[in-house]
Amino acid sequence: MQRREFFKKMGSVVAVSAVIPMMSFAEEAKKLVGPNEFSYEKALNIITSGKGATASPKVTLKAPEIAENGAVVPVTVEVESPMTESDYVKTIHIFATKNNNSRCISVHLTPANAKAMFSARIKLGSTQDVVALIEMSDGSFLSAAQSVKVTIGGCG
Amino acid sequence: MENQSLIKIKPKKYANGEVVNVSFMVMHPMETGMRKDKKTGEIVPAQYINSVKFEYKGKVITTMNVWESLSANPVFTTYMKIDGEGELRVTYTENTGAVSQTSMKITPKG
Repeated sequence: MQRREFFKKMGSVVAVSAVIPMMSFAEEAKKLVGPNEFSYEKALNIITSGKGATASPKVTLKAPEIAENGAVVPVTVEVESPMTESDYVKTIHIFATKNNNSRCISVHLTPANAKAMFSARIKLGSTQDVVALIEMSDGSFLSAAQSVKVTIGGCG
Repeated sequence: MENQSLIKIKPKKYANGEVVNVSFMVMHPMETGMRKDKKTGEIVPAQYINSVKFEYKGKVITTMNVWESLSANPVFTTYMKIDGEGELRVTYTENTGAVSQTSMKITPKG
């Protein structure tokens, strides 16, 4: 009997010690999937230096409510601004909040653009919010968001 | 050149001082580095546009920082004020370090 119990215990110890490194290895592998992993909260914190942004009716974000193909989602951002030397839109950031790397594009404008508008097509991995974060020349931050339903993911 | 690119201005005929729509299109795969090749099972290495720069008459008017979540064959659209004759030059850089350039002559009418 003693011998049997001894082998039982030994067996469980071996099994546990074999499983633990496997698990930690799997976790590490998961972390390494995205080389440019960058969450939306982190990006927002860095860009606004912790202040956050206020939702504003000046910013219009056009994106489809339902995107059939997540690989091509057209997004248009337009900001009401006179675009003069003293008051213009400095940067338009576009984020896909749940993508591995949430940053899509940052557009740095100048008064020579004369109109604060940008459009491009982005990839969305799953159903999520698309956020436009606007940095004005006076240092304030405006934002607009819209949720986009994705039927087929476009990443990977 | 491997990747074809094109600058388009709307409307086609423009006067001095007019605000026109400028689009820059590139034929580019925009690989994220996370996709697996279905035949070989190997990960396709990342290859995407890093930054785009618009220069008009030697002056930088717009710069963009780009990451991999832009679609393949991207189109970048903004507005620009026409201010005399000159060259509009668009430069883009890839994450691999390759740099490409396209330019267009701007000749306002009337």
